[in-house]
Amino acid sequence: MLRSAKGATLLVAAALAIAVHPPFAVAQAAGPATWQNDLKPIAPADWNYDLAAHLLERAGFGGTPDEIQALAKLTPAQAVARLARFEGTDASHLLPFDHSGIHDPGLEPFPPSRPAVTDQAKQTGQALGIKVKPEGSRRLQPVVNEFFYWLRASALETNRVAYWWADRMVTSPQPLRENMALFWHGHFAVNEAKVRDYRKLLDQLELFENQGTGNFRDLMVAVAQDPAMLTFLDAGVNVKGAANENFAREIMEMFTMGVGHYTEKDIREAARAFTGWNYVDLKFVVNKDQHDDGEKTFLGKTGRFDGVNVIDIILQQPATADFIAGKIYRYFVREDLSPELQKQLGAVLRDHDYQIAPLLETIFLSRDFYSPASVGTQIKSPVRLAISTYRKLGLGNVPGVPDFNVATGALGQRLFAPPTVAGWAGGTSWITPGLLLERANFGRDVLFPDINFLPPDRFTGDPEVRRVADRIRQGMDISSATKPDGKSGDLAESNMAADRDEDFNTRYGSYRGWQMAIERVKPIPRDTAQINLARMVLDQHFSNTTQVVDYMIHRFMRVPPSEEARQKMITFLNKELGTSDVSAVQTYLEDPLRLVLHLIMSQPEYQLG
Amino acid sequence: MKNHFSFSDSSRRDLLRLGLYGIGVSAAALPMPLFAQAAAALAGQAKSSGKILVVLELSGGNDGLNTLIPYGDDAYYRLRPNIGIARKDVRPIDDHFGFSRGMAGFERLYKNGKLAIVHGCGYENPSFSHFTSMAYWHTAAPNSGEQYGWVGRLADAMAPEAPPNFLVNIDSRQSLAVRSRRHVPVVFDDPNKFSQEVFFDEREALPSAAVNQQIANPSRKFLLDTAQSAKQASALVREAWSKYHSPVDYGVVGLDLPKVAALIDAGMPTRLYYTAYRNNAFDTHVFQNDTHKRLLTYASDAVAAFLQDLERIGRADDVVVMVFSEFGRRVPENVNLGTDHGAANLMFVAGKQVKGGQYGTIPSLSKLDPGDNLIYTTDFRRVYATMIAGWLGLKDTRELLNGEFQPFDMFQRA
Repeated sequence: MLRSAKGATLLVAAALAIAVHPPFAVAQAAGPATWQNDLKPIAPADWNYDLAAHLLERAGFGGTPDEIQALAKLTPAQAVARLARFEGTDASHLLPFDHSGIHDPGLEPFPPSRPAVTDQAKQTGQALGIKVKPEGSRRLQPVVNEFFYWLRASALETNRVAYWWADRMVTSPQPLRENMALFWHGHFAVNEAKVRDYRKLLDQLELFENQGTGNFRDLMVAVAQDPAMLTFLDAGVNVKGAANENFAREIMEMFTMGVGHYTEKDIREAARAFTGWNYVDLKFVVNKDQHDDGEKTFLGKTGRFDGVNVIDIILQQPATADFIAGKIYRYFVREDLSPELQKQLGAVLRDHDYQIAPLLETIFLSRDFYSPASVGTQIKSPVRLAISTYRKLGLGNVPGVPDFNVATGALGQRLFAPPTVAGWAGGTSWITPGLLLERANFGRDVLFPDINFLPPDRFTGDPEVRRVADRIRQGMDISSATKPDGKSGDLAESNMAADRDEDFNTRYGSYRGWQMAIERVKPIPRDTAQINLARMVLDQHFSNTTQVVDYMIHRFMRVPPSEEARQKMITFLNKELGTSDVSAVQTYLEDPLRLVLHLIMSQPEYQLG
Repeated sequence: MKNHFSFSDSSRRDLLRLGLYGIGVSAAALPMPLFAQAAAALAGQAKSSGKILVVLELSGGNDGLNTLIPYGDDAYYRLRPNIGIARKDVRPIDDHFGFSRGMAGFERLYKNGKLAIVHGCGYENPSFSHFTSMAYWHTAAPNSGEQYGWVGRLADAMAPEAPPNFLVNIDSRQSLAVRSRRHVPVVFDDPNKFSQEVFFDEREALPSAAVNQQIANPSRKFLLDTAQSAKQASALVREAWSKYHSPVDYGVVGLDLPKVAALIDAGMPTRLYYTAYRNNAFDTHVFQNDTHKRLLTYASDAVAAFLQDLERIGRADDVVVMVFSEFGRRVPENVNLGTDHGAANLMFVAGKQVKGGQYGTIPSLSKLDPGDNLIYTTDFRRVYATMIAGWLGLKDTRELLNGEFQPFDMFQRA
C-alpha cells in the first residue's frame, strides 16, 4: 500500500484516467502551501477526486464515492455552480413539513410565563382560550394544563421540524441550501425555549432555505421583521418613549457589524427606529402609534429613520460586509482568517451588492480553500458530523434511533436550541474531553442501536412528571401526588415553595400537559439505520483485510488516523474474521465491519472534515 | 441614598463583619490542619496548599439590585416602581439590605458568617454586550485582548507541569475562563456519559491517545491532546459519580455543584473548578420578577447545599465558591417589567473559611452614570486577587492579572 502523499496523488490521477472509483489512498490531498490566502480560482487541471471530496465535505455534508466522482468529472467551476447555484439539480421531490395540527385558537398571544397566564385568568375569567371554573377546588387547573400542553406540544413539534430538516440535509440534491440554512440558524440564533412556537421557527427556517444564498440585505430585513426573531429579542415590547435596546444591540453586535463599530448612543437611537415593530400571530406589523417617528442620529447620519433605514445605514458600513464574509468563511473554510483576506472577502460581498452566492463561489473556487491550511482542518459541528456520517453511509433518511435531536444535543448542537443569541461558538469549542468520547458513542448508537431505546417524544424522561404520573394512577389525590419527595436535612426553598397556590397545581399541570401533547403530536418514526457494509466492501472485490480497512478509512475519514491506529484496526479485523483473506468471509462480514467502522468513528481524526 | 456608612473602606468592612457575628479568634494563630498539609504534599506540583476554588458563573447578567435588595434606600423604589421588591418580601440581613424571597440559603450562610458580599464590582468603560463583558470577566482583561482565561492562567501558575485533572470545567462546552496555555481542562457535562462505551473485543483496538508533538495540523493536534485528557479523567469522574450518594437536598436545579462535591469527595487532584448557571438564564429583559426570583432560589439552594455537603464529607475547610455575573442590570426598570444590561454588580464568596460580611463600597443609587448604571466601586479583579492570593496563596497576582489589585482580607486563615 502506498502511503506517501506523492504516491497517493499518483494513484488518484491513475484512477481518474480510467474513470473508476479511486483506490483507497489514505494520504490527504491538498494543493501546495503557497495557495494559502490566495483567492484566485484553481485551474481545471488542478481538479481531482480528493479536491472534489473536500468541496462536497464542506459545501455539502460529504457524500458517497459516487457522489464525489460525479463532481470530480465536472470542471471546478461547474462543480461549484452545481452546489452554490443549484445548477442542474432538482429538489422538487422533497416534501413540505407535515403539521400535526396542534395549535388551538386562543393560544395567541401566548403569555410570557405561567404566572402571567394565571394572573390573566384570575383577572379576566379566562386565559389561553380556556375558561376558569366557576367554583370548586383548582378552578384554574384547565388553564394551567393548557399552558403546559402548548409548551410541550410546541417543543415536540419543533423536534419533528428538526427531523424534517435533517432529512433534507441527508437527502437533498442541494446540500449547500441546507448547509447555508444551518449557517443562518446559527447566525440569527433563536431558540424554541423562548419562542415557544414551532410555527414561527418553521417560517424562519423556510426563510433561510429560500433566501440563504440570496441577498443579505433582503435576508436581514426579513429576519428583523420575522416573528420568531421579534419574540426572541423582545422586540414586540419596544415602544415609543421607552425603547428596548436588546433588539437594536443584537442586530449590530451579532448580525451585522460586530462590536467596536458603534456607540451606546447609536444603539439607543437605533432602538427608537425599531419601536412599534411587532407581530400578530405569524405576521409582522408596525404599531404606528408606538413608533417613534422623531429625528434620530445614527452612525453619523440624521433623519426620521425607521428600522429598514437603520439596516440600510448599517449595510453601508464596510465593517458589515467584512463581518458577514468573514463569518461565512470561518464556517466553511477555517477559523484563522487574516485581516487582509477578510477585507478581500468583504470586498467581494460589497462588489456583488451583498449577494451571497457569488461570495460562496469565490470561496469554494479559491486556491486558499484547497490549501493545506484549509483541507482536513475543520472540526465538524455535531449536526455536520451526524449528517455526513449518514450521507457517507448512503442512508435514504435520518434514522429514528438514535434520536437525532437527543444525539446532536448531547454533542452540543441541538437544532432550534442554540445556547445563546450568539449561536454556537464553533471550532475547538465543539470538543471537550467529554464530548469527544460521546462522539464515538454516537457512532455506536447508529451501528448497533440501543435495544432499550425509549422514544423521547412519547416517554418523558422528567422524573418529576413520572413520579406524579405514577401516584395519580395509583389513585392519590393531587396534593399528595405532587408533594416533593422528602430528603434528609433542610428541604431546599425551591422544593418547599412548589405547591402553595390552591387555585391550581403546576406539577399536575405539567404532567397533564405532557399527556395532552403526546396525544396530538404525531410520533417520529423510529426506524434504525439500514446499513450494509458487507455489500459496500464486497463490491470492491478486495483480496485482503488491509485493503478493506484502507477503503473504509478513505471512504469515511478526511484525515487518516495514525499508522498505529490503522494497524490496530487491521489486526482487529483479522481477529474478528479469523483470517486476513476476505474471499471466504462474506457470510459473516457485516458485524466485524461495523466494529471497524465504530473504531474509525472513535478516532480523534474522524471529527475532522 | 441613605448613607449609613461613611468610614474608609477597610474599617467599614471590619465593622460590618464584626457587627455581624463578632470574630474573636486571631486567624493567624490557627495552624494549618494536618490533612491539608498532607493534601498539599500529595499534590506535589502545587506551590500552595491543597485549597480548592470553585467558580460559579451566573450567565446573562444577574440583576444584583433584585438579588440583594437595598430596601432601606428610597431611590431604589423610585427607580423601580413596578419591579422593586417590597420591604415585606425581602429577607433582611441588616437595616438596609435583604435577600430576594427565595434566597433562604444565602440568608442562612450570611447569618452564619460564611458568605462574603462584595459590593459594586465592575471595571472601567463597561461593555453592555453579554459576550464582550463575559469575555472580560473570563480573561480578567477588560478592554484588551487576552487569549487565555484567568482560571486557565491561574492553573498554569499553580502547576506549570500541568498534571492531569488539575482544572475541571463542568459544562456542555469549555469556558474561555479555563483556556490555558499548558493544561487541557477536563470538561464534561454528564458524568454518566463521560466514557467511551466499547464492546469487549474492541478494547485493545482503540486508539492509544499518545500525543505526537510533531503534528502539523493544529486541529488534529488539539483533538489528540483532548483525547489524552479524556483518557486520564473519564474513569475517575465516572467512579466518583457512581460512588456519590448525598442526602443533601440541592433543590430543583442543583446546578453542577453535586458533581463538584462528588469529585472532591473522591479525592480528585483538582484544585480549580469552573461551572455556570447556563444559557444566559439571568438575561431578564421582560417580566422579570417571577423568573428572576426562581433563578435566585435555585442558585441559592444549590450553593448552600454544596457547603452543607462539603461539611458532610469533611472538606468544608478546603473549598470556597466564588459567584459572579458578567454585569448587573440598568438601575431603572424598563417598560416591560424587566431590566436592560447594566454595569456594576455584586459578587459573592461562600465557604466555611470565609469571613462573612460585606466588602467594598456600596455604589450610589442616586449618582448613576449617564446611562443610568451603577458606577463600580471595586474592580472585579480585586476579588480574583483575593482568590488567588488570599485563598490559594499565590504571591504574584500582578503578572496573572496584568496589574496591581489589592486582595481583600476575606479568609480565616490567610
